Amino acid sequence: MTDVYVDNFVYALGERKLHVTESEAQGLLLSSAADLMAAGFEWHHRCEPDTTAYDLAVTTANQLVRGPLDGVDAIVYATCLPHNANVGSAEEWRRTRDVKHLMDFPASRLQADLGLDGSVVIGLNQQACTAMLGSVRVAGALLGAEPDWQRVLCLTADRFPDGARYEQSYNLISDGAAACVVSRQPAAFRVLTAHQITNGGLSDASDDETVGSYFSYVARLVRETLDRAHLAPGDVDWVVPQNTHRKTWDILSRIVGIGAERVWMPSLPDAGHVISADNVVNLASLVESGRLRRGQRVLLLMAGFGLNWQSLILEATGDAAMPASGRGSQPDHGARELAERSVT
Amino acid sequence: MGHILITGADGYLGRQVAARLLRDTDDRLTLTVRTADPGRRAALADLLDDRRVDVVPADVRDADPFAAVDAAGVTTIVHAAAVTAFNVDAPTALAVNVEGTAKVAAFARRCPRLTRLLALSTLFAAGRRTGTVTETRHDDTAGFVNHYEWSKWAAERRLLTEADAAGLPLTVARLATIVAEDGTGTVGQYNAFHNTLKLFCYGLLSLMPGDPKTPLYLATAEFTARGLAHLARPDVPSGIYHLAPAPEEAAPLGELVDLAFDVFERDPGFRRRRLLRPAFCDIDGFRDLVEGTRGFGASPMRQALDSVSPFAEQMFLAKDFDSTRLRTAWPAAPATDTRRLVEATCTHLVTTRFGRRAP
Repeated sequence: MTDVYVDNFVYALGERKLHVTESEAQGLLLSSAADLMAAGFEWHHRCEPDTTAYDLAVTTANQLVRGPLDGVDAIVYATCLPHNANVGSAEEWRRTRDVKHLMDFPASRLQADLGLDGSVVIGLNQQACTAMLGSVRVAGALLGAEPDWQRVLCLTADRFPDGARYEQSYNLISDGAAACVVSRQPAAFRVLTAHQITNGGLSDASDDETVGSYFSYVARLVRETLDRAHLAPGDVDWVVPQNTHRKTWDILSRIVGIGAERVWMPSLPDAGHVISADNVVNLASLVESGRLRRGQRVLLLMAGFGLNWQSLILEATGDAAMPASGRGSQPDHGARELAERSVT
Repeated sequence: MGHILITGADGYLGRQVAARLLRDTDDRLTLTVRTADPGRRAALADLLDDRRVDVVPADVRDADPFAAVDAAGVTTIVHAAAVTAFNVDAPTALAVNVEGTAKVAAFARRCPRLTRLLALSTLFAAGRRTGTVTETRHDDTAGFVNHYEWSKWAAERRLLTEADAAGLPLTVARLATIVAEDGTGTVGQYNAFHNTLKLFCYGLLSLMPGDPKTPLYLATAEFTARGLAHLARPDVPSGIYHLAPAPEEAAPLGELVDLAFDVFERDPGFRRRRLLRPAFCDIDGFRDLVEGTRGFGASPMRQALDSVSPFAEQMFLAKDFDSTRLRTAWPAAPATDTRRLVEATCTHLVTTRFGRRAP
């Protein structure tokens, strides 16, 4: 991978914060609230009925609009759920039978709404929850292929459709969006490597099969990612994983040889699994904690349907662009406070 | 002509031993079956055609389970009745495996013509001990992984004490894990071995608790039944035997897991799913997994883990089961090719989709 850097991690969560017992009472879960709480989940965030995934995207990107997005050459717009990659009117599609209503792309809207006129857009919607990490990988590749490009905005935004259960593979789900900027210029983190494994043979995996294959595939992902970066487990200072069962990394840390004390996922009880945004939420928290030091290496991991597994290794540069925390804005139309933070 | 009493004759091994003894001897057989389950008698249908066979209801949890058996004529007792599940609870293990065995010993004392009391035990009666395990009585200092192990050890102790006191012609046969009927790999009874492989094959588990180097002692029902029939003979010295493959015939856990995946991967459906070979984890990691999946309710993974977890710790406790006494007493004991047996068994499991369809 060409030397690329990444920073400006921001995210936004659905406006409505619910306790897992509330969601159980509303029939939004498969497991019991007690079982999910035993797994470490407690709260999650859902969008209001009239908030779209695109609203989350705009709210997230607006946190960057002054400065980091100036001169962005491309937008990699990722969604976990393919239906979030179209903002066209379903009603118009049914009325007119014109497929253009199925191709009203949020990335194009974002370019126009944010005035990123010099950028091109690229959609990424078949990597499920791994798409945020995938977008960074794609952005790095783009910078390698386009010598004149300087910066790429990576953004992911998803909300579950009305009526959906907010639990997948025994994980409590939050609606959310996240973004970061991948650039050629030195920034808060240098991207040491990115890696992806896809196993289409498990594309129809049941929840139990997804969980069952998780450990061996994540162990393989870690091993191969470290190999790509010519690193050993001891070279990793932090693991920033997706939010999943609290016991998961007690098990994995022993298998991959990275101590559990180096695993950072404090947002588990407050946010649950934010679809594709977990890594950003947790990385922002790590930065805000003040525990991250120059030169430390951070391994980000995510598993998703497809089945896909993706990872990044970032190295904290300690440069001027080292993130400082702050708060972003609410959805353009939103009345309630969003749980959102920016790390710019 | 002798008279052989077989307890638990409607169980998997009880049936096998009964068939073998019918084939190898001219003796009369009395088969006891559990009274609580009338359907069990049907399992013996192929044996009941022989006029030397009669069936007696007897549940070893009853106060005097063998009251209906005429002790005067019994020359041999094969005690096969037991609960063999690794996850048996303590009260059941005590009632059936320990106290039930004591009742068999008490009955044996009432048999004036008795030439052999053959009790089926298990290699796992060794509990948590590691290293070389000899064909001698165990103490309980090493402790046990589950109630099943403890109960079989406690049953042995009761029997050995009784035998010492009453001069019973006792033989204890500690059995290996039976994985197939014979060398064809046909599976007659599913146990934790098969359930573990099923978890792997269906992608429900990608962690293997254990040390890859831990040797596994696996056998066929045919080997075991032949061995039991031999040890039941009055001319074979009494005592404790490891009715199991020789140490050099056992194979390490890691190699057998690889072998199982080699077989699974011959199946196009399995190959398409590209399931990875399991990562070996420590016992704490496996316990974390079991605890972590408690919230999975009645999911297939949860149910399967319940059958695997009670013996998982044994996969870390390497033992070499010495069987010198057995080989001396049974020079014709067939050799066990553990790798070939596992390969054949896994082939059968894949072909039959773990018993759900005809081979």
